[in-house]
Amino acid sequence: MLEQRLYRHIDWLLLGALLLLCVIGVAMIYSTTYDPTTGGASPLVSTQSWALALGLLAFAVTLSIDYRWFADLSVLIFLALIGLVAFASMFGIAGGGARRWIDLGVFNLQPSEFARIGVALALATLFARHRRGGITVFERLLAVLIIGLPFVLIAQQPDLGTAVTLLPVALAIFVFAGLPLRYVGILIVLGTLSAPAVWAYGLEDYQRERILSFLDPEKDPRGAGYQQLQARITAGSGGATGKGFLKGTQSQYNFLPVAHNDFVFSVLAEEQGFLGVVVALGLYLFVILRGMDAARLARDRLGMYLVVGIMAGFTFQVIYNIAMSAGLAPVKGLTLPLMSYGGSSVIATLAAFGFVLNVRMRRFTN
Amino acid sequence: MAVNPGAAGGWQRVLQARARFVFCVMALWGVAIAGRLVQLQVVDYGFYVERAEKQHERTIKTPARRGELRDRDGRVLAYDVAADTVIADPRDLEDPPGTVRRLCAVMACTADRRRRLESILARDSAYAYVERQTSPRVAERIRALGLDGIDLIKENRRYYPNGSLAAHLLGHVGVDNQGLNGLESLHEETLAGEPGRVLVQRDAQRQAFRRVERRPTAGVSLELAIDSYIQHIAERELRAAVRGHDAEGGSVVILDPRTGDVLALANEPTFNPNAWSGAASDARRNRATQDVYEPGSTFKIVTASAALEEEVVRPDDLIDVSPGVIHYGRRPIRDIRNYGSLSFADVIVKSSNVGTSQIGVALGAARLNRYVRRFGFGQMLSPDFPGESRGIVHGASRLPDGDLARVAMGYNISVTPLQMAVAMNAVANGGELLAPRLVRAELRGGAREEIPVRVVGRAIKARTAAMLTRIMEDVVTRGTAPAARIPGYTVAGKTGTAEKLLPGGGYSRTNHVASFGGFVPSTRPALTILVVVDGVAQFGGSVAAPAFRRIGEAVLPHLGVAPNLDGPPPMLVSAEPASFPAMRQRPVRWEEPAVAAGSIAAASGVMPDLHGFSAREAVAVATDLGLSTRLGGRGVVVTQVPAAGDAITPGQALTLTLDRRAGAGS
Repeated sequence: MLEQRLYRHIDWLLLGALLLLCVIGVAMIYSTTYDPTTGGASPLVSTQSWALALGLLAFAVTLSIDYRWFADLSVLIFLALIGLVAFASMFGIAGGGARRWIDLGVFNLQPSEFARIGVALALATLFARHRRGGITVFERLLAVLIIGLPFVLIAQQPDLGTAVTLLPVALAIFVFAGLPLRYVGILIVLGTLSAPAVWAYGLEDYQRERILSFLDPEKDPRGAGYQQLQARITAGSGGATGKGFLKGTQSQYNFLPVAHNDFVFSVLAEEQGFLGVVVALGLYLFVILRGMDAARLARDRLGMYLVVGIMAGFTFQVIYNIAMSAGLAPVKGLTLPLMSYGGSSVIATLAAFGFVLNVRMRRFTN
Repeated sequence: MAVNPGAAGGWQRVLQARARFVFCVMALWGVAIAGRLVQLQVVDYGFYVERAEKQHERTIKTPARRGELRDRDGRVLAYDVAADTVIADPRDLEDPPGTVRRLCAVMACTADRRRRLESILARDSAYAYVERQTSPRVAERIRALGLDGIDLIKENRRYYPNGSLAAHLLGHVGVDNQGLNGLESLHEETLAGEPGRVLVQRDAQRQAFRRVERRPTAGVSLELAIDSYIQHIAERELRAAVRGHDAEGGSVVILDPRTGDVLALANEPTFNPNAWSGAASDARRNRATQDVYEPGSTFKIVTASAALEEEVVRPDDLIDVSPGVIHYGRRPIRDIRNYGSLSFADVIVKSSNVGTSQIGVALGAARLNRYVRRFGFGQMLSPDFPGESRGIVHGASRLPDGDLARVAMGYNISVTPLQMAVAMNAVANGGELLAPRLVRAELRGGAREEIPVRVVGRAIKARTAAMLTRIMEDVVTRGTAPAARIPGYTVAGKTGTAEKLLPGGGYSRTNHVASFGGFVPSTRPALTILVVVDGVAQFGGSVAAPAFRRIGEAVLPHLGVAPNLDGPPPMLVSAEPASFPAMRQRPVRWEEPAVAAGSIAAASGVMPDLHGFSAREAVAVATDLGLSTRLGGRGVVVTQVPAAGDAITPGQALTLTLDRRAGAGS
């Protein structure tokens, strides 16, 4: 399956950058959960490492098999994922206020993390099918269904954060499939205009509080503004060169909650300083642009759409999480792909990048 | 759709355009994030570091052990003991009213205290004292309560094991162990040491981890010149004198004539430095160094010194002091009776005001004042007494004869008891003015750094001192101070009875400062003692002199000073040093005849050979023979006058020269 010729076209640079980010992530998780009194590593580290191994396995699968074979099965894959998400919602285990995990015994699987791949695959397949003529109304409706069904399912878990990450996947594929940019512009204008109405009627109190506290975390430093403020203190106190590995006081003394998860980037900023941040930022930018390069090089529209969708989901999360860690966006429970703790996220992200490399690798094959 | 994605190559063009757009968005985002992080991590770095440190760490100073105060023999006069202090972190209290209730149950609060505690614990601060230096029992019970936000820390508490002993010299400390008076405050920096630093780090759940950053450095201990025993005697006898005569107060200063060491310094009233806050400020004042008084007749030794040294008069010159009154200035100067004509020596012995004032006027203000200065009056003498007074000495130009005559007899001049004692001490040691030394050495770790004896200058020539000593001996033997006689020792001294200045002007006839200053044994002084009793109706000879005697009687044996007068009936001593040990085993009990009848004849006959004896052995033998000994040098006896075999009589002087190498001299 993986011929010698294809093997030569694997994007080793991108793969290297991905693995490096994963390793940095594990190191940061080790550091934040390190217990100075016992000197022992937290079990989270080994969980993450196992997830990384599984993720590489998934990556090998999604890389080796031609993406067009997956496209042929996209309906099946999509429905299977929808089923899993629905199963998790109904019979899964709850955590953090949402019922989103399926207990697999060894670890818990979060199907919603994989939903992005299913959406990207299904939409790419849908829009790539027609070589001639426009996109029919039926297809547009189908597209809305493909994005709408998992969105609603995940949102009612309730896990709005994860559900929202589906939107950039769809939007990107729409745009690259030919949706004029002015529609995007209209969408932005509409969004801005509706903001006051949303503010007044669409948001829960705690959500309004979060946004307010983002604007002025000092107003309630022990309440709503706490995370926001601690995130800034964490990053700021790192300085140019950082406090050093295992020396982060903010994260190790739990001033910054769930540092190993949503705020892993803040931990990096604290311990490795601005220099470490620049390295990680550079790696992420490289991964994103290199992924876009894979879309550019794709030999067909299917590949291009698939890569664009996957990269859009990834990029959105990276942009938002890092902005949040730097205190440029309100706190929302979005993980930083590759670095944050979370088995499902790592596996899903690596599997998704398997497709990206797959498309690039097969750019010369028929 | 404006662009037909189906058109051949169309999607690539769309892609190119969109890719450029994505690239721009990403570049913008990258710049924004980097800029923001530069702001946080570089520009505002200091602010956030401080914020981070403030919330997770606090530096606590751990007190250093304060240096000890010890007497000259190493006995501890002041040291630190550990005590528990109850502290609170009010921001950390779950239930302040409940906490107050439970604390009060243990500490037995009054209603007032409970209110205060409530207000303390309601404050928005991270650190508050609940009770400083509490008792071990209360501390144990509070610890057992295990209240959140209430903690116990160790603090040092100063303890003075001898209570009020030497209280004015030692001083006392405040609740933060900072010196507030006496040596404790003067040598604060030396004694305090350097506090250690403990970094307390705490996590978001407020669990604390401690790390010692720097251990505290214990303070330097001071070895005082004080001898606890002598100090105790001085305080006891002063108290007896003050209470016995219903006096306002008093001071005793005891100096070592050879070094200026302050062997004791006592004041009455006194206080207990362990409970200083309850003592009246009057009782906390070191009268001997802070209060000035008109010394009266004791000051005549200065006038006499000047007159003798300047050869204005010789001891035997006759001075007409009739009819017991003389007129200088507005008010007459009187003697207690008309002595007619007195030798200069007797002017001092009888303490004739008329005679002394004539001598003073004959000296003139400039010359007298020179000696006043040389004896240390009008200046601070020691760095070891806080608030030491200079006294008041009028300049020579402002002393017309009327005033000068009064300065000569110890009025119109103000001195501290310490200054008077130091002046007396200068006569005792042959004319050298030695600064009083209270701190003898600093004990730094294992090392002892001695503070050298400081010679201020020569007040008078040795010859003058000797003449004055002879006169002062007569004061005791046949003058105003028979009560100062100490059996077995020759005493030199001078009484003083100064009428106290009345508020409206003029002097009181019934309110005196009675004093006696002197040294013993006069031939080779071991002690200079000044006793000042303030506010009595009687005279120095009847109030202060007896106290002097009792102090001398108790202290001289303690110091091992052999009697030099009316010694024990001398005993037969072999000239052979070999037989010496047998003799030494006899207890020295000079009151009773030591040996059988023949010893007196034998003793008056022959001087034994003391060559090779140590100073102590030689003095012991000489004392037994009734000889007064003068020693020179160190080591063993190499020369002796009179020589071995010469005829001797009791009371005769024996001069010994000592050297480290036996046989060096003769």
